[in-house]
Amino acid sequence: MYYAIAFEERNKPTATLCNQGFINDARSAASSKGVPGIRVVSETVPPGCTVVEDVEAGVAAAMDNIVATLTRPLTAEERSPRPRDSEKFTRIIFKGNLQEVNRFFYRRGWTDGLPVIPPTEEAVAEMLTGTDLPPDYLIGKMLPRLGKATVEKVAINAVMAGALPTYMPLLIAGVQALLDPITDAHGWAVSVGSWAPFWIINGPIRHDLHVNSGVGALSPGDIANAAIGRAMGLITKNMRGTRKGIEDMGTLGNPMKYAMVAAENEEESPWEPLHVEQGFNKADSTVSLFFPNSFIHGGRFPNVIYHIPPVPGVTCLMVTPQHAKDLARDGWTKKDIKSYIYEYARIPFYQHSSYPDGSPVIESMEKKSLPANPQDYVRLIPNPEALWLFIAGGPGGGLGVMKGSPRMKAGEKRVNLVTKKITLPANWDKLVAKYSDIVPKYGMY
Amino acid sequence: MNGSKPDGQYAVLSPWADVDPVPLKGISAPRLDDLSGKKIGLLCNFKPAARPILKAVEDKLKARYPTCELIWYSPTVNIAEIIGTEKAKFEEWINAVHAVVLAVGD
Repeated sequence: MYYAIAFEERNKPTATLCNQGFINDARSAASSKGVPGIRVVSETVPPGCTVVEDVEAGVAAAMDNIVATLTRPLTAEERSPRPRDSEKFTRIIFKGNLQEVNRFFYRRGWTDGLPVIPPTEEAVAEMLTGTDLPPDYLIGKMLPRLGKATVEKVAINAVMAGALPTYMPLLIAGVQALLDPITDAHGWAVSVGSWAPFWIINGPIRHDLHVNSGVGALSPGDIANAAIGRAMGLITKNMRGTRKGIEDMGTLGNPMKYAMVAAENEEESPWEPLHVEQGFNKADSTVSLFFPNSFIHGGRFPNVIYHIPPVPGVTCLMVTPQHAKDLARDGWTKKDIKSYIYEYARIPFYQHSSYPDGSPVIESMEKKSLPANPQDYVRLIPNPEALWLFIAGGPGGGLGVMKGSPRMKAGEKRVNLVTKKITLPANWDKLVAKYSDIVPKYGMY
Repeated sequence: MNGSKPDGQYAVLSPWADVDPVPLKGISAPRLDDLSGKKIGLLCNFKPAARPILKAVEDKLKARYPTCELIWYSPTVNIAEIIGTEKAKFEEWINAVHAVVLAVGD
């Protein structure tokens, strides 16, 4: 839609064709840019379809509308749209019991489907003890809706997610990561590819918050891993305005959007931790973000080269401490592993998800040209720097593979994960002590 | 922690972010009176369906308006990167056409 707006501003009548299932998305995009009158032509060609008969039929049905879009005179509303009545919220949005509050929030589309903790004044005030920033501090305006990410709104969503006040510094850094243009968080969050944010925590804060880096780090059961991911999901929905089926058009959806958070087990790693590779000090606490759309559990190095998804973006390996130690004992460094995978992770072009038009393949090739033959091999890793490793997981060998944003641009030599330093409040130690005993203590049977 | 009153009532705040009002803009590009004899730009998104969709549009427009000229713009990069990486080529194309048909591909 943004290009249709740019063309219209250059006095070029524009007909934007999109599938009928994406009309709400297109309208939302146009409105968020203040140009609700942009003309969109709904067509019925199945998304991604290249079957000539289906394309022909879909376009034939839309032809009259395409012509009319370019020739029908503009209406008064299109020339001068009237402002919509904006909703005026009182500070207290609702009063009710637990069930009533939850149903109210759910009906407004403000939850992820699971029950939420009611964000009362008292609960939000307690959450705000986790930061020295004032409640009205504006971290930024978040695409696509340009919602104002104030510290208080972060706290409200954090309460709903079941977060503890000690998570606030990390959540604020997480919002900063989402706002970083390198992440392209807006694009990945709304994509049909159902990409999900994966948050990797490094530094001392891992221990302060009890973020799991061990057994089942990606499974439910740890309040930090669960509530941090969930809070960022609610922030995406309620502050960025990315709603499923309206802006978020992920075709299949992705359970990783509920929460996908892990800490790195730096103490058990034979190599330098992820955030140090990213240029931070070991004593810094950081949160790193990227958007994979799959997680493949299994394999070991070097056969991991057969498990790398043929999709765009950087590759991230979650390596168990034991496997990392085995590799290090045999002389492998992170750099060696990256170089090996870069060299040998290749598949025939016809097996790549972008065959035959090749758009994502171009970014992963040294030359901006498609292979001459479908059988020619293409790399799965654009360059060794587009592969990251971090150490997590329980006893046992093996590793997990994820692939996703940020997208590599043609000719780019290095793409950083987006990593943000977490700024702690002055009373951090006292705050950590207050919540330090909130950990599960399982009885044996 | 949650400010629950004795009767189990909760007074809650909104999680929905405030926004500054977006200045509304109308569209003003004059529509064409007829497509005959006009140059129509076809801008193709990177998605697989975009190109065949525009090919079908091209064929059908030519059939309806034989004097209409269709001018493709096939970016070598993602549509989001066009202006930054191939501005001159893009400017030449956009300045040459009277109108644009843009296919998203989904």
